Amino acid sequence: MNSARLCSRRHFLQANGFGLGSLALATLLRKDGLLAAPVKPNLGPDNDFNLLPKQSHFDGKAKAMISLFMMGGPSQMDLFDPKPMLTKYDGQNFPGEIKYDNLAQASSKVFGSPWQFSKHGECGMELSELLPHLGKVADDICLIRSMVSGVSNHAQGLYAINSGRITAGNPALGSWLTYGLGSETEELPAYMVLSHPGGLPTFQGEHFTNGWLPALYQGTVVRATEPRILNLDPPPSLAGDGQRRQLDLLRSLNEEHSSENPGELDLRARIASYELAAKMQTAAKEALDISDEPEHIKKLYGVDDPVTRDYATRCLIARRLVERGVRYVQVLNAGQSWDQHSSLLGSLPKLCAATDQPSAALVTDLKQRGLLDSTVVHWGGEMGRLPVLQNDAGRDKWGRDHNTFGFSQWVAGGGFKGGHVHGETDEWSHKAVVDPVHHYDWHATLLHAFGLDHTKLTYKRNGLAASLTNDPGARVVTQLLA
Amino acid sequence: MKRIGLVGLIVCVGMARAEEASLTFEKDVRPLLKAHCTLCHGEEEKPKGGVDLRLRRFMDAPLDGGATLLVPGKPEASELVAIIERGEMPKKGHPVPPEQLDIIRRWIAQGAKTARPEPETLGHGPLITEEERSHWSFQPVKRPEVPEIEGAATPIDAFLATAMRKEGLDFAPEADRATLLRRVTLDLTGLLPTPAEVETFVADPDPTAYEKAVDRLLASPAYGERWARHWLDIVGYADSNGYAEADSARPHAWRYRDYVIRAFNEDKPWDEFLREQLAGDELAGATHADYQAAVLDPKKRDQLIATAFLRMAPDGTGDPNDDAKLARNQVVAEQLKIVSSSLLGLTVACAQCHDHRHDPISHEDYYRFRAIFEPAYNWEAWRPPAQRLYSLYTPEERAKAAEIEKAAAAINAEAREMSKKFLDEIFEVEILKLPEAEREPYRLARATAEKDRSPEQKALLKKYPSALALYSLNLYDQKKQDLVDAKVKEADALRATKPPQSFVMALTEVKGQVPESKLFNRGDHEQPVRSVTPGELSILAAPEIESFQPAAVSSGSSGRRLAYANWLTSGQHPLVARVFVNRFWMHHFGRGIVATPGDFGLAGDRPSHPELLDWLADEFVKGGWRLKPLHRAMLLSHAYRQSSENPRSLEADPDNRLLARHKLRRVEAEAIRDSILAAAGTLVDKPFGPPSTIARDTAGRIVTGIDKGTITAAKVEPGGEQDFRRSIYIEVRRSKPVTVLDTFDAPAMAPHCEMRSQTTVAPQSLLLMNDTFILDSARRLADRVHEEVPGDERERLRRAWMLLFGREPSESDILRSLDYLKLQTATLTVFHARQPVPAPAKDAPVPAPPDPAREAFASLCQVLYSSNRFLYVE
Repeated sequence: MNSARLCSRRHFLQANGFGLGSLALATLLRKDGLLAAPVKPNLGPDNDFNLLPKQSHFDGKAKAMISLFMMGGPSQMDLFDPKPMLTKYDGQNFPGEIKYDNLAQASSKVFGSPWQFSKHGECGMELSELLPHLGKVADDICLIRSMVSGVSNHAQGLYAINSGRITAGNPALGSWLTYGLGSETEELPAYMVLSHPGGLPTFQGEHFTNGWLPALYQGTVVRATEPRILNLDPPPSLAGDGQRRQLDLLRSLNEEHSSENPGELDLRARIASYELAAKMQTAAKEALDISDEPEHIKKLYGVDDPVTRDYATRCLIARRLVERGVRYVQVLNAGQSWDQHSSLLGSLPKLCAATDQPSAALVTDLKQRGLLDSTVVHWGGEMGRLPVLQNDAGRDKWGRDHNTFGFSQWVAGGGFKGGHVHGETDEWSHKAVVDPVHHYDWHATLLHAFGLDHTKLTYKRNGLAASLTNDPGARVVTQLLA
Repeated sequence: MKRIGLVGLIVCVGMARAEEASLTFEKDVRPLLKAHCTLCHGEEEKPKGGVDLRLRRFMDAPLDGGATLLVPGKPEASELVAIIERGEMPKKGHPVPPEQLDIIRRWIAQGAKTARPEPETLGHGPLITEEERSHWSFQPVKRPEVPEIEGAATPIDAFLATAMRKEGLDFAPEADRATLLRRVTLDLTGLLPTPAEVETFVADPDPTAYEKAVDRLLASPAYGERWARHWLDIVGYADSNGYAEADSARPHAWRYRDYVIRAFNEDKPWDEFLREQLAGDELAGATHADYQAAVLDPKKRDQLIATAFLRMAPDGTGDPNDDAKLARNQVVAEQLKIVSSSLLGLTVACAQCHDHRHDPISHEDYYRFRAIFEPAYNWEAWRPPAQRLYSLYTPEERAKAAEIEKAAAAINAEAREMSKKFLDEIFEVEILKLPEAEREPYRLARATAEKDRSPEQKALLKKYPSALALYSLNLYDQKKQDLVDAKVKEADALRATKPPQSFVMALTEVKGQVPESKLFNRGDHEQPVRSVTPGELSILAAPEIESFQPAAVSSGSSGRRLAYANWLTSGQHPLVARVFVNRFWMHHFGRGIVATPGDFGLAGDRPSHPELLDWLADEFVKGGWRLKPLHRAMLLSHAYRQSSENPRSLEADPDNRLLARHKLRRVEAEAIRDSILAAAGTLVDKPFGPPSTIARDTAGRIVTGIDKGTITAAKVEPGGEQDFRRSIYIEVRRSKPVTVLDTFDAPAMAPHCEMRSQTTVAPQSLLLMNDTFILDSARRLADRVHEEVPGDERERLRRAWMLLFGREPSESDILRSLDYLKLQTATLTVFHARQPVPAPAKDAPVPAPPDPAREAFASLCQVLYSSNRFLYVE
């Protein structure tokens, strides 16, 4: 793992196609110097924010993360959280208390999962038949069945799980990680977002905004179709020295302008973005091109199958990005496709068919490359669903309403336990009752896996030290960690 | 410490007051219970354990176990406190923080008082408390006194200075003239000042020079082209229908875009502008079937065009989609989202499915609001986009077109006749090839209509397929087919002589058709629950204010929208003017007085300067809802004119909430593109009319041009001057965002954009380094500069600096540029020397030899275009 990362830096030194030798060397020396010193982000208006690698607060196994985000609220009792009681009471009135997202409206008829669960792996993790591929990596994943955010609706749910707060405009998880740890690559953005051909998820840019962190830490969106990044080719007459000379002049003009405008962090971010763009011209093209991946690898992900092709390609690209030092990669769906208020029987299998194999392949592939130890793979959405049915207008129209009081997600690698199931919901898969994990607990634990103390990773804002885990009750859930 | 004090002042005033006064249920306790308890204890049909905490008096009910929930004066005897202390409640979610529990304790100790008698009954939807009702933005606008403060140049400055001096801050000095002119020109027109404008302004000794410049810019047609764009963002303007995969074209939307541009340029009073957009059809006396008189009258036509405001939502109902009824209801839902956030600054969408989570907007409210629009958006008698277009034909043109159509149809009939005759002739020859016995049965089978043929007849025809001669004349006799085709072409040619027909996209009602409006369970149109009547949101319909009363208008339209528009623009509405002036403020100063321009509700940001906001809103309404005076008031303030240099402000107020300095901003997408073109001298000033088309090029970019692509290969042909018009005139296809604009955060209209993001990401840098748009523009800028300044390289540099930055280069700028040009010319000379010389093509003009020096200058222009000094406004 470490060698792969070092490799990307060595690669950078050798491949100075733009005549970057001295600049590169200087930067690397600076990086190494900084690597040796404990770096607490240094704050204040005249401060030089950058993407140089930062030392974590303590040793953490995780170095990178791939978030397979499933906007809409995947149905946990149909995928991850088997409940015989639901089957037993299927079609009958729900005997307990429901926390409807919408009070007094949803039906109270129990909706037993129509799908079978079976045990997988040595750990015997019970998973739905909709996720046959995930079953094959059950021993590598940590399944959390007791997620809670307790907030209402998609917007708040997303903000909570993605930014730790329930309003818009706050920094996303990926921004916090790149802010806290910097980047391991100089050739690619530290934080990259792989979007779906159908468009961005609901709430669009909120998924990868830097919020009030400096603009340097925002996610860079990669297009869903080829060319995934536009304008990677310099004009032939300027390729090489010519463009380097342009960028040098540009830098000197911009530095002067920036010194006239102290405290304007966006100007600093733009100066950095030109340097990054120069390197991306070769690096991004190479990183995003899966054509030289061996056939068996493409097949493993499902690149060969039209049903899985898109998601498989993006998962494979995500692995390539992490391999090349990208800190945080988000693989997004479109709209809120996991929001099955109706027609769950038809749409859930389709969503699973498109994503199950690629998601599991990502775990397998990272593992066989020795990268899983240092890469967190996360699969989950902003909420789950209710045990009772919604839209009682014929079986094919049945759906389930929102549930933020108990839902599931899984995580693999980066120091999280494999073959482990954490927490329980009640017998109906409605509310987390054993070892609940609030979104802020999840964030605290995740940062811990990266060697970051969630109370210390802060940014000074309007006189206050703001952190990702904006809740005094946030705690590291050590049972999740190996 | 300083900064903490500042925040405290702005944010925590309310809290501090709560501490001192005696505690009341409504103000102090209910919000806590609402956050932690009432989801189970009050809002469900059956409150859990019979405990209902919505009203103070409900707490007197005895508990099942014999304990007492509340003993006024004795918190230690009250189960409400004890159960929280024991950690038994709340069962889920966060525990009640100690300081909140302490408030409950103290409230009980003080006697558990309410602020006023509690309501007798609780009806549908949430109870609106006095506290919610007293939320700042629901209060009528109250004009404050302008503070008397020394040195404040304008009322705006007086308000701002009062707040900042409390923090020991003061304004920055006025910006230098070149900076100021660049700022105000980009701000008002989205274009750069020309070098001549800068020179004149800098040299103008007149103390009112700046004022004159502001007036000149406000009078410029470019002003409307810039400021209309802000409104088009909010309403979600697009030239395509969106929603469905097809994203079909919306070919007549541009008339609305032009209407908005003209409204800004003419300074149409905003109240009239809103009334026309909400109810122009009712003002013009038009309905779906009866619009002729309206479209022929220029004023009424404009009113009709204005209603396209209500046709901006994505509408896939004319395209194939999975669920037609859902698609219709989605149009209504998205349109309501646009209306509410653009005009009311409230997000009502949550209440489509349930009571609003934060704001006192009930599920019922939402459907009352929806009912205002349902006579025009009747989902059960739906009109897809094609049926919402109104022809601009005059009666004469219409008659002429009908006459031509009649003649053309006759020619088509003739062609069909000819074809039949030819086929029959062929048949008579073909049938002779059949055995005699089968000829008559075959003839009969052929003459029988296909659906009436017996199995035997079908078998017979199949046995001799070539004899049929009912179709495909061309296969039997191409020459005869040609004769028929010629006839058809004759009809086509005749049709082409019809007077050209154009359409208005508008929202109308069908005369007399007023559907019964229903509340939908969970927002599902298939689950209507009960009837509702149209009405304003309860929270905004304060009893002391006469809100709107629908009255049918003479055209036969329901009059609901007109009544609503009249109420919104009555000057009594608490939100409309505030929301509007806040947006204006945001565009001039970088952030709104309320930083969440689309959410003035309880979850939205609080105003940083509430009195200033109200003063502006009142001034705006009293001044006749005029835009240009509002601009002047803001632009002539010192706050706008100050420089960005104020170290104390930077230190104490980095977010610049107090506006003690000007905050630098990145130029918006359209202004970047337009300024690049304008500097290169290629911007085409061709206002109004159908949009410039776009297409996908071979590199995957969406560019201006004519789409000659096929399913397999992209191809774009240049569109001539159309490619160089201002960005507001470029087609907005939701599924094909123009790359240059999209990369710099032009919004995706899904369905609209409240506030643009301002990103700084590598794809922007890549675009400025490598995109053909910037390379071409840089080349043209270099050519322009060489044409205008033939001799001296230094002078050329000076010219380029003036064109792009509105200021002279420093000596060091010149020296490093000259150095750059020398080296870059050498590199390009080597590059061209290594290129193979192409064989001269026959009869083709000899291509000009490469000019490395000019190319080097172009590459310098590209650097200047890419620089922060160009991309940001100071």
